[in-house]
Amino acid sequence: MSEQLPAPEFDAQNYARPNQNYICGNACEGKACRQGPDAKGRCGATADCKPVLKTKPGETKGRWICTRPGGECESGPLPDGSCCNPVPKCSPVPTLRLWRGRVTLAVIAASCALLLVILGNPPWRNNFISPGTISNPHSGAAFAALAITNHLNESCGACHVAGNSGPNGMVNVAMRADPGILDFEKIASASAANPTAIDESCLKCHAGRNFHQPSAPQISCAFCHAEHQGKMMAATTDANCSFCHGDAAKMNPITKNTVAPVIHHFADDHPQFRFITENLHDPDTLKFNHALHLTGPTIPKLAGGEKLDCAFCHQPDTAGAFMKPVEFEKNCRVCHSLQFDPQTPELQLPHGSVEFVSAFLRSLPKQYLNLAAQFGKDEDANVFVEKKLAGLRAQFGSGEDLEKRVFFSTSTTAPEISVGNVTGAARAIFPGCAYCHEVKNSSARAPEITRPIQTERWLVQAKFNHLKHTSVACAQCHDAVHSKDTADILLPAKEACVTCHSPRGGVADTCAECHTYHKPLVAAQ
Amino acid sequence: MKRFRRQFIFGLLALIAATVGALWLNAKYNALPNYAYLTGWALLAGMFVLTIYNVRKKLPFLPLGKSETWLQIHIYLGFFTTLLFLIHLNFRLPHGWFEAVLAWLFVLVSGSGFVGLFFSRVLPRRLATRGGEVIFEKIPALCHALKTEAETLALGSEAKSVVIAEFYTKRLAVFFSGPKNFWNHLAESRREVSGLLAELEDLRRFASEIEKEKISKLAALVRQKDGLDYHRALQLALRLWLFVHIPLTYGLLIFTALHIILVFGFSGGAR
Amino acid sequence: MPAAPTILERPQRWDAAFDANMTDADVERLLATAPFSGMAAEKFPKRTPLREILRNDARILKFRKGEIIMRQGDYGTSAFLILQGAARVVLKPDLPPSLLGRQATNKKGVFRTLAQLWNRSRPPEMLPRTLLGQSSGVSARQNEKETRVFLQDVPRILDQHRTAQMIAGEFFGEIAALSRMARTSTIFADSDDAELLEIRWQGLRDLMKYDDALRTHINKIYRERALASYLRATPLFKNLSKEQLDRVAEAVEFSTFGDYDWSGEYKRLAQSGSVRPEKEPVIVGEGDYPNGIVLLRAGFARVSQKFGGGERTLNYIGAGQIFGLNEIAHNWRNKESPVNFQFSLRAIGYTHLLVVPTRVMEEIVLPSLLKNELPPLVEKTEDDFDSAAPQTRAREKVGAEILEFLTENRFFNGTASMVIDLDRCTRCDDCVRACASTHDNNPRFLRHGPSAGRLMIANACMHCADPVCMIGCPTGAIHRESFAGQVVINPTTCIGCKSCFTNCPYDAIRMVEARDERGEFLMDQEMKSIAKATKCDLCVENHGGPACERACPHGALERMNLNNLDALSKWLKL
Repeated sequence: MSEQLPAPEFDAQNYARPNQNYICGNACEGKACRQGPDAKGRCGATADCKPVLKTKPGETKGRWICTRPGGECESGPLPDGSCCNPVPKCSPVPTLRLWRGRVTLAVIAASCALLLVILGNPPWRNNFISPGTISNPHSGAAFAALAITNHLNESCGACHVAGNSGPNGMVNVAMRADPGILDFEKIASASAANPTAIDESCLKCHAGRNFHQPSAPQISCAFCHAEHQGKMMAATTDANCSFCHGDAAKMNPITKNTVAPVIHHFADDHPQFRFITENLHDPDTLKFNHALHLTGPTIPKLAGGEKLDCAFCHQPDTAGAFMKPVEFEKNCRVCHSLQFDPQTPELQLPHGSVEFVSAFLRSLPKQYLNLAAQFGKDEDANVFVEKKLAGLRAQFGSGEDLEKRVFFSTSTTAPEISVGNVTGAARAIFPGCAYCHEVKNSSARAPEITRPIQTERWLVQAKFNHLKHTSVACAQCHDAVHSKDTADILLPAKEACVTCHSPRGGVADTCAECHTYHKPLVAAQ
Repeated sequence: MKRFRRQFIFGLLALIAATVGALWLNAKYNALPNYAYLTGWALLAGMFVLTIYNVRKKLPFLPLGKSETWLQIHIYLGFFTTLLFLIHLNFRLPHGWFEAVLAWLFVLVSGSGFVGLFFSRVLPRRLATRGGEVIFEKIPALCHALKTEAETLALGSEAKSVVIAEFYTKRLAVFFSGPKNFWNHLAESRREVSGLLAELEDLRRFASEIEKEKISKLAALVRQKDGLDYHRALQLALRLWLFVHIPLTYGLLIFTALHIILVFGFSGGAR
Repeated sequence: MPAAPTILERPQRWDAAFDANMTDADVERLLATAPFSGMAAEKFPKRTPLREILRNDARILKFRKGEIIMRQGDYGTSAFLILQGAARVVLKPDLPPSLLGRQATNKKGVFRTLAQLWNRSRPPEMLPRTLLGQSSGVSARQNEKETRVFLQDVPRILDQHRTAQMIAGEFFGEIAALSRMARTSTIFADSDDAELLEIRWQGLRDLMKYDDALRTHINKIYRERALASYLRATPLFKNLSKEQLDRVAEAVEFSTFGDYDWSGEYKRLAQSGSVRPEKEPVIVGEGDYPNGIVLLRAGFARVSQKFGGGERTLNYIGAGQIFGLNEIAHNWRNKESPVNFQFSLRAIGYTHLLVVPTRVMEEIVLPSLLKNELPPLVEKTEDDFDSAAPQTRAREKVGAEILEFLTENRFFNGTASMVIDLDRCTRCDDCVRACASTHDNNPRFLRHGPSAGRLMIANACMHCADPVCMIGCPTGAIHRESFAGQVVINPTTCIGCKSCFTNCPYDAIRMVEARDERGEFLMDQEMKSIAKATKCDLCVENHGGPACERACPHGALERMNLNNLDALSKWLKL
């Protein structure tokens, strides 16, 4: 306390007036005048006093009297009634408070001016108010040209109703917005998925929303596709999809409690694939035993010496996403040569049409003749043919029998040495059409063979690309080595996909990875 | 310090409760589609309540409640509104020019508020400890009087001391000419004045008896001037922070009004 | 009789006589008039002879018919004796405030409150012309020495109010002078040649001391008019029956201490260092035999204890407080080991008190109290603080430095002192602006004043319990707006005589020069600017109480009652 300075002495006879806006200009020197500045900052000093005319009774002119507060001055007022001692006016000083008020007004004025200037000038305005970079497809000259072609306004106005308006227009549009500025309840309860005015702009170029379910509610484009998020438009998220699919209340009225479960994430609660849950089977009538072909000991090796593998029959198509259908000529005849004459393995039945086979069998002499001409046999062609036919007859009896055997034989009746050009350990008696196909008797000339069905797509709701899965072995997803029946659908269960497509697996597992929203439903074949 | 401690504890508890509540609500309703609208309105409501404190201050003659209570609400609501601001921005920096300027305005307003709070609680105590209480508007006149006195003492016709006159002209004239050492005083540094006084003391070696007396008087004047400077510096700081806080508040409100128009004019709901 | 001036022992107050123009002839005339003619001059000591009392403590005033001598509610320190002529006392109902120079203070209505919004542009101290003239039925005339206010329409007043006439030889105003209570009635002169003798209270007290007749007379009227109701209101006597109260009233002695007045003299004395506890008149000494409890009725007294070579202040006590109860109650219960007064009681400035003798206490009062109403026994410990009543723990409560600060500056007088906590005050001046906004753009206090550590008592009217400013106002402009209410100044009737301004020991009143709407100074007939006395009025007209307190954002300012230290000690622990 002893270190405390004493308070400086000052004239405490008068009040301090911090409520005034101006201080006398001479106050900084301690000579503040008695009058003081007025509220507008004008110095009130005129002279030392205000002389008063005093007329004594009987006088006509009177005398000017000095009215100085400290007592009359020596010289007295001038004859015209003004004080002899004028006081020079000072320059009143604004107080800090007044300065603060001025700064506040200045900031308000500057803000308004700046904003009006910027908002009144379209290029500046657009750059200024844009909340983020527009994605590449929607910026640039190409887009601008397209916008005009599609009857949209330019730049911001291409999407936004208020995009080309100045401040006045913006206010108008804002007032008309729905939900409105003060519609708090509507704002709180509104669904972002509701279509909006901007969607109409989207549709001008992106025609037709093409919802994946006609019964699905209309959803705003902006709900999944957010603009102003940078040069690359943000990818959709699971939240977008689970907005409906994760909400039983939304789904049930649509699906009437039949199918749709509530789905949030692939790894968590995506349902098992339908072919498994509904226990579907391949309706293909062609009998094929994958296990035998891939692992059977009797399966001969391919030309280069390799074992028969998936890739020999299943080749990717041009795009690479899916596999070409298996063709007999390319993939099966290599082993299944369709020869019926053990002595003449070169003579092979045509494949594909029952009439052709039947015609072939009925024209066997001709066929043998052609064969002879082809292979240039020494003996007389006719003799060759006769010999062959005799052999056939010996084996099969009649032509009808042969035909019957060809169509209906399902198994080997006698050992064969070779099937086709491939020599095996034992002789196989040729298997007929029925070995693989479903052959039915019919009232027509030739029996009926049910056309095999190669179902192109099982998981029709999802997209898949084999090209992206080249790091995965075929057997990891397609359990062919254990499949004996054609009816087996050799597709993986969901768990196989989840191995990689999950947070733990590390591969992208968003809904959009496999499912598309906009393309119409792919019909099952 | 019972009453102020009680105020502080009550305010802090209310703030903590509000923060926890706000963060919980944020986590729960974050996914709501129009969440940003709702947080925006809450933020605006907070800003509005904060701003009308300025109105209350202009109406001291109306029985509107104690300014002390209003300030307590203002301070704690200020902290909470800053949290609302962060929630509204979803804890991310805005991208576009306009939104960036708007965010910066808010940061400056609330930042200056925090600085002001710090000043208001720290500087008065320093002023009281130092003593030498003086009304801010009287300081220039007192300063001037000290300068005249010092000049007369050192340079006046009766001074008759070359040593002192030279020292005054070289070192003290500047010191007495006006307010000095603003930043030094804010930082509580007495370096400058201690230096001056030490130099003054050094002069004693060369001084006669009369001159020694003059030096003591000059030293006393230097101390008085320093005390005045100290008061001016701290009291000025206590006034100047409001030059940022208040004008920018109104700028912020203007920008906010435009922000509301832009949001509703350019959002999907615009028709 | 040889008038050897006893310079060394003269009462200090006689350095400034009440009226320097008292001549010997005047004194002789007085000595020949009753009651002085009946007083035995030899009974008066050499220090204060009767003649000198009359010369130095009295003055002769001349009044014309209708001139107001005293107003009900005024504070005065003198008694009056009618020497010649007549005066009238206004009985109930009393004259309306406008005739007494006051104004009715009503709270501002809605429009007036809202109109304050436009105050910022008013020039300072603007006095609307409507307030300048007063056609309320009183007028002022200037004497050589002072201004007198006279009632213009005396017959109508006589018609409308009940009055009683007093003639030469009658005394009035003694009780108010001695007990520093407000005057109970308005009295005006009833004849053009009225001559009154005004005796200030110190003189009256000395006269009483040495003249039996006067003492008996004043004792009698004091007991009749003032004592009974006061005792009835004292909590200590609440269990007594009427008959017991009468017995107490009969036994009570009253006295008035103090040698100087608060105002100008005190300031001068304080600066010269004459104000020390050791020099103050002792009411009760430490170690004295407890002969009665001291009931303080007006003024203040200091409770102190010997410490080293001087006296250490423990507390100050004000009106309504009791001293000595502990010791007497202890002695009553503990007859084997009685104690003496533990502390000394000294008068500060002016002190008026009652003494209830021990005998009465033991016989009547103490038996009427319940066990738990009795104070604790006095214990002899090393540190006498602990044994003391809560009053004496004040030193701990607020600290020695602040206690000394308050006592030296007499701040304990204030019932609404402006206390500023310098640790919290950001010097923003919101308080001053608020005061200005509620007072036509004129602040009514200065945010500056004496300080001790972090406490500052600003120059704002403290609305003292003992308002010395109110003594001597010629027009009644300064008055209490209600019984024991705030002290306010009526600008209309204030003539700028500076009595209150000079009297106030705390620099709370400031003179201002009135201006017109353009900001030009107003001039009176003599080409002098019109000065008015102004001060804080505790916002009596405003809603919500003192605007300054309400406007402080940091809780640094409070209008505090410093008559006792409860509020302050609570505030210091803030």
